[in-house]
Amino acid sequence: MRRALAGASLALALACPAPAGRDEGFRTNTVRAHLSSEPQSLSLIGKTDYSSEVLALLISDGLVGYDSSLEVRPMLAETWELSADRRTVTFHLREGVRWQDGRPVTARDVVYTIRKVLEPATEARSWRPHFENLASLEAPDDLTVRATYAEPAADFLDAWRIPIVPEHLASKDRDFLTGEFAKRPVGCGPFRLVRHEPGQLLVLEANPDYWAGPPAIERLSFRIVPSDRTTYEALLRGDLDLYVGVSPDLWRESLASPRASRLARFVYPRLSVWHILWNQNGSNPFFTDPRVRRAMVLALDRERFARQATDGIAIPAATTYHPETPWADPGVRPWPYDPAEAKRLLEEAGWTDSDGDGVRERGGVPFRFTLLLPASPQELAERIAVWTQQSLAAVGVRMEIEKLDPRAFFERRRAHAFQATKSTILQTPSPDHHDVYHSSAREGGMNYGGFSDPEVDRLLEEGRRTFETTRRREIYFRLQRRLHELEPISCLFHWVSPVLHDPRLEGIERSPLGPYLVFPGPRGWRWAGRAPGRG
Amino acid sequence: MRRFRGNLQAGAGLVGLLAIAAGAAPYLASDIAWVSRGPGGVRFPILGSADLRRVAGAEEQPVLRAPIPYGPDLTDLDAILTAPSGRHWLGTDGLGRDVASRVLHGGRVSLTVGLAATAVALLLGLPLGAVAGYAGGAVDAAVSRLVEAVLCIPVLLLALALLTASPPALRGLPDTLLLASVIGLASWAPVARYLRGEFLRLRQSEMALLARASGAGPLRVIVRHLLPSALPPVIVAAAFGVAAAILLEAALSFLGLGVRPPTPSWGGMLTEARHHVDRAWWLALFPGAALFLAVLGCNMLGEGLRDLLDPRQRRR
Amino acid sequence: MARALLLRSASSALTLLLVTLIVFLLLHLLPGDPFSEDELVGPRRLTRAQVAEIRALYHLDEPVHRQYLLWLQDLLRGDLGASFQDRRTVASKIAERLPVTVTLNALALALMVGLSVPLGTLAAWRPGSGLDRAAGAGTYALYALPVFWAALLLQIVFSARLGWLPLLGLASDRAAELGALERLADRAAHLVLPTVCLAYPGLAYLSRFVRSSLLEGTSGEFERAGRARGLTALGVLVRHGFRLASVPLLTLAGFLLRHLVAGSVLVEWTFAIPGLGLLFVEAVLARDVPVVMGLTLVSSVATLAGTFLADVLYAAADPRVRHA
Repeated sequence: MRRALAGASLALALACPAPAGRDEGFRTNTVRAHLSSEPQSLSLIGKTDYSSEVLALLISDGLVGYDSSLEVRPMLAETWELSADRRTVTFHLREGVRWQDGRPVTARDVVYTIRKVLEPATEARSWRPHFENLASLEAPDDLTVRATYAEPAADFLDAWRIPIVPEHLASKDRDFLTGEFAKRPVGCGPFRLVRHEPGQLLVLEANPDYWAGPPAIERLSFRIVPSDRTTYEALLRGDLDLYVGVSPDLWRESLASPRASRLARFVYPRLSVWHILWNQNGSNPFFTDPRVRRAMVLALDRERFARQATDGIAIPAATTYHPETPWADPGVRPWPYDPAEAKRLLEEAGWTDSDGDGVRERGGVPFRFTLLLPASPQELAERIAVWTQQSLAAVGVRMEIEKLDPRAFFERRRAHAFQATKSTILQTPSPDHHDVYHSSAREGGMNYGGFSDPEVDRLLEEGRRTFETTRRREIYFRLQRRLHELEPISCLFHWVSPVLHDPRLEGIERSPLGPYLVFPGPRGWRWAGRAPGRG
Repeated sequence: MRRFRGNLQAGAGLVGLLAIAAGAAPYLASDIAWVSRGPGGVRFPILGSADLRRVAGAEEQPVLRAPIPYGPDLTDLDAILTAPSGRHWLGTDGLGRDVASRVLHGGRVSLTVGLAATAVALLLGLPLGAVAGYAGGAVDAAVSRLVEAVLCIPVLLLALALLTASPPALRGLPDTLLLASVIGLASWAPVARYLRGEFLRLRQSEMALLARASGAGPLRVIVRHLLPSALPPVIVAAAFGVAAAILLEAALSFLGLGVRPPTPSWGGMLTEARHHVDRAWWLALFPGAALFLAVLGCNMLGEGLRDLLDPRQRRR
Repeated sequence: MARALLLRSASSALTLLLVTLIVFLLLHLLPGDPFSEDELVGPRRLTRAQVAEIRALYHLDEPVHRQYLLWLQDLLRGDLGASFQDRRTVASKIAERLPVTVTLNALALALMVGLSVPLGTLAAWRPGSGLDRAAGAGTYALYALPVFWAALLLQIVFSARLGWLPLLGLASDRAAELGALERLADRAAHLVLPTVCLAYPGLAYLSRFVRSSLLEGTSGEFERAGRARGLTALGVLVRHGFRLASVPLLTLAGFLLRHLVAGSVLVEWTFAIPGLGLLFVEAVLARDVPVVMGLTLVSSVATLAGTFLADVLYAAADPRVRHA
């Protein structure tokens, strides 16, 4: 059977054209990347999953953008000014920018885009909340957009990264999400979509008329590859030129494997944190006490785990504020590993092991709780949970692990039907973590644990309204110190996301938003030793 | 004749050995000492209750350790992904846990799931199929439609719904048995359908006619006269069913729906091993080999039993 | 006969209805919401009222029984509804992927039958011999190999190391520039590894099944009769064995149709192939009710048609069950 198989595959191997070579990308001036899932929509603003967002921001531009160090920079808007009451912002658009079909980009397109975002049927779920605060939006002339807010908001610029949609094309469709435009989107960004094979491949081509000059690479293609292992093998084989978001285990393997030695590699910090959420709404006797919450973290030797079990992918965290952003207070350090102090705090809170069975109890109730964990293809997430379980057992706390499929997990969390959960929070560059900590976010927000503290509430509200960066930073520093003290959620690790790529591919930046979503991003990628331009 | 018995014996031996190893896993592979000496004299911590054993083990001096002195969940951050050695016979995994210990303990889950799921499938499938085939008519039509309906319901959806929504009837089951019941519930229909077909054929046979003529009731005819000739292929299918259930557990744990961590299962271990294929061959090889032996053992046992029971082959 | 056929079709339609109802209920029993905001990023999220607006677009504001009736109503008009995930019609999503899955399964079935019939015949020729045992152990070893591992090993050996076959997908990046013949070869090369992965787990069961059916057929009077007419042992096997074995083989044939449309999520996931298996699992995990219902309908029709066909063939082949 094996011989028959080898024979058959040999025959086919001879019959088929030479396999995609290692130099395919270089030869054709293409960068071949991957996405792990099919974009849910190519309409640029509807259905905002990660794949859709990456494509949207390559096909079209926003009024502003982030550079790789998370500074806001002008894109379609050349300048803007804020009124004295900070409620009105006026954007002046760049002159001469054209849609990929040749028509000029005007202020009316901007107004149309936001109007579309506010329609429920567009399902612009991550963009829409940013524009709810708008009182009016108008286009006094072709190159001016004036937005007036009901309340001044310090983070208002963040929302204007939204890719702009051409009114003259998109408005023809009856259904925005499934119409002609969503099949063949047209933007004003550095790339245009030239081919889409659903579930398999998306091919973008450089936009020769791009306002900031055409990208150096001629093509950017995305294979849809759900399996991380397959993506990795494809990169090793030369079928892909770039693998963004290498899983921790494959990263570890690539460090040791001779097969991967020819590749270039770097890591970028992700704006995210692995955390444990303690339910403190009184439904369990354990986690309403901040001393107990802190004891849980003190029992974990995070430095050692990060070093030994993650090859440096994980970095012990203090709060949700990422040390690579300007908003993190460098004075707030992660709690150290101190099991003796953990035990002392537990004793102080009344949890003692009086019957000598190795598990603490208080008033006859043993310290035994269940940690909910969303199922994930990432083994590391589960390993962190198992290691936490063992570490807590050493201070007399018994933890069970219950793994659930992600949607079921969300449902339990939203209904506050848990004792503790372990998952990740992904963030934007904004320091506004209102939704995670504010007492009003206990229902409908992300404050699933039911944390409530008047001072935290006050600081969050003040931070939202404060425009001066220094003053604002001070507020968020104070917030972090308060959070660190109360430990409403235990932030275990931030982590870095590894990238592997062909060493001849240059210009990929290390940015907390990843290589795609920033300026210049793929606009600045180039193959070393190739003259820029076509062919 | 002898060679069939050889199959039977080898299969029974293999399955028995695996079952004994899995059953004895808590004693064979444990970080708790067999014998220890402390202030209170010589004790046998391994025989104590789970919670007490751990505490005692920490304070006393072990005299005699288990052959594999590691529990399946014992992590060791200083020994991550180490190759097989004298210290860890079959190496360690991504958290420094002993693979030998996990293979042994994993057998408890995998074998229980495999055997219990098959038992559930047979308990549902055999009577329904036999009655439908024997009775025919409206009974047959009703059962056949039910069987078809079950065949149409996607296994994954059924498993996911039963495992995550955990209806009251199944709540409180240990998750191994829950998993087994779910897999069993999803796989009885082919058994019933096959048996129904056989009984349709057999109920008009001379054997059945003779039995009925001699005054045997339907139950007696079914159980004493027809079942023995319809059973042999079912036994073979059931042997495959055991393996299929073990593999289905592997597939479910691949999708993140297996047993609760940190409990090991062969399927779960193989899933994890996928990430280390270049570096840690031992992670895949040993649970894979255990799985192979279990599958081979079950099928040899099945074929051996079939040959032993089959009246047509017995003549040879 | 016509009446029996009609009756059977009617009862199959009822079964189908029952299945859709059960699957619909299972989907609603499953905790989790298709439009939950929980995985979203950032400081601001939709309010509950805004989420409710989106849910209403998909009739999720109606009571469950109304939702089912609405689905049924649309179905009778030939409309399978729109996916919750991307709002594309379920019919177009399935139509896009059905040819891929059917092609792969047909190839895999051909390979499976093509290998296991000779294998089973050889094993039955000398039961208990070394050949028989080797075939048994070999196919069981394959059976014990989980699909996701087999897929990975095949990828590493034939694609990564030897470089003979493509690693993933259905076509090369350059497929569009190729001529018709080359494109066919390209497609064929992409199908080899997934086909092998789909075929190998069935080898053990099918070849052992062929073996035991043949043994049953050749034992006793048939063999003696055959031998008396001067046939060789292999001749007896082929002449008589297969005629008798064809009856139980037909029960398997009933599952054939269903297997043609059954996607394998593990194979599709590993090889990055857009088939029905991946679509189904993604839809279940996303609680995409219309897609799950549509796929259930397709596979149920195939299953029911298959069992119907098997029953008819069974009755035709074996007069003893004809009146059933």
